[in-house]
Amino acid sequence: MNEHDFGDLARRDTERHLLAAVDESDNSKRAVMFLADFFSDSQNVFVTLLSIIPEPSEDFFPTETERRQWLTEKETAMRNTLAGYKEILLGAGFQDGRIATRLSIRPGTISIGDAILEEQEKLRCCIVVVGRRGITHSEEFIFGSTSSKILHQAKHCAVMVVE
Amino acid sequence: MVQPAETLPEAAVRELIAIHAGPKRVPARFKIITDTSDFFKVEYNDVVVLGGVPYWVHRCEKEGRFGIDDEPKYWVRRAIELTTGATKILKLVFHEQFETTVGEVTITCFRSPKKEARILDLVAGHRNFMHGHWVLDAAGNNVRILEFIHGPRFDDIVAGYGTDHYDYFHRYFPQVLDQYLELVLAIKFLHDHGEKHGDIRRDHILWDVDTKTNRWIDFDYNYQQGEALFGFDMQGLGNILIFVAGRGDVLVPDLYRNQREIFDTLWGEDLSIAYKNRVANLKKIYPYIPDSLNRALLHFSVGANIFYETTDQLLDDLARARADMVSLTGRQA
Repeated sequence: MNEHDFGDLARRDTERHLLAAVDESDNSKRAVMFLADFFSDSQNVFVTLLSIIPEPSEDFFPTETERRQWLTEKETAMRNTLAGYKEILLGAGFQDGRIATRLSIRPGTISIGDAILEEQEKLRCCIVVVGRRGITHSEEFIFGSTSSKILHQAKHCAVMVVE
Repeated sequence: MVQPAETLPEAAVRELIAIHAGPKRVPARFKIITDTSDFFKVEYNDVVVLGGVPYWVHRCEKEGRFGIDDEPKYWVRRAIELTTGATKILKLVFHEQFETTVGEVTITCFRSPKKEARILDLVAGHRNFMHGHWVLDAAGNNVRILEFIHGPRFDDIVAGYGTDHYDYFHRYFPQVLDQYLELVLAIKFLHDHGEKHGDIRRDHILWDVDTKTNRWIDFDYNYQQGEALFGFDMQGLGNILIFVAGRGDVLVPDLYRNQREIFDTLWGEDLSIAYKNRVANLKKIYPYIPDSLNRALLHFSVGANIFYETTDQLLDDLARARADMVSLTGRQA
């Protein structure tokens, strides 16, 4: 399913649609493994594995070519990671038709948490699943916390934070 | 504005220097430079031609680093614009990536000429920022040509107000708070346009004696943000708020040496989350500080559970603090 194709939403409204927001981190992998373990027997669960790549600012690269190269490499790595996570779900017994992967490249001026919540609203998922990085108090002060933002700002859905 | 790089004949440059500095000040030898790629080669008395305009280069600018001797910034040069005689600051291209640590957190920072040029365009006409324009030199380097700001640092002025904290807080702080609020509004202007300042420190605010305003300088840093897009900027604003509310930083070692009875009342949660040798819970030191102001300070303390993510949140809280300051002191500003 591409970014603009939501043709099957009506069907999914009657299903249990989970949105697992992931990246390349260990905590994301743990979240996917938890899903695999917990929901593999549920035949009416549909999972979208979502990854957000914030587009890096031009400020971080001497040339536009280097910026584009970084983005291409990141996109390739993330597609591989998503494919790996899909394999984990398939290996646990999920049917192929019940898993979608979705990679969204967003402007760097939107936070990852906001981007995830926008996707949840578009896809009308009933549960958002994220891993928890376990950041320190000081790190949260400087960088903020994606899982905290989702916990506090998600609407019309449940939120599952996997430790 | 990008203009084609062009050079000037040496005789014309000599004549311009003589007009502005007198015939005796014309250097015997100097280089005329149009490619600034190697900024170490730009020496005192050289003339850099940017967009057809000659700049007579003088000394490097320096940056104070809290007790360490001023470090020369070789890529930042004071210069005379020879067409007008005005003093300018030339910022040559220096790409730098480094890690800085705040509150035990490592942040990756980048120095970006493009970013500063973009913001110069954005803040042209905004009274609370330095002004200038940018030009690509003969090699395509983005050189920023900044208006020189006459005046002292904001923090030096604040620290000199009053005979002691009580006197400062009751006589001067209302006006300082208004100035601080204006500076936060300026940062909000950047954030509203998707830009960060990137290096918010109290020595990056100058009091412009000509326009009678505080102005943010040096916004060529960018940093790799996390979920909170402006978190690093917000912590910088918090450090400055703690400084202005305390008429300087209240340091834990000083309390230990000089005010042991206050030191004994402090807990870890009272300290600044960014700099753990500074007190953020200033009401413990100065009990007359209104609760509303102290609550804002506590958002920058180790004990905070909720942090400011936006300037709007900070401004909302400080509006209440300002009203309480008026009640306390009877001064509007």
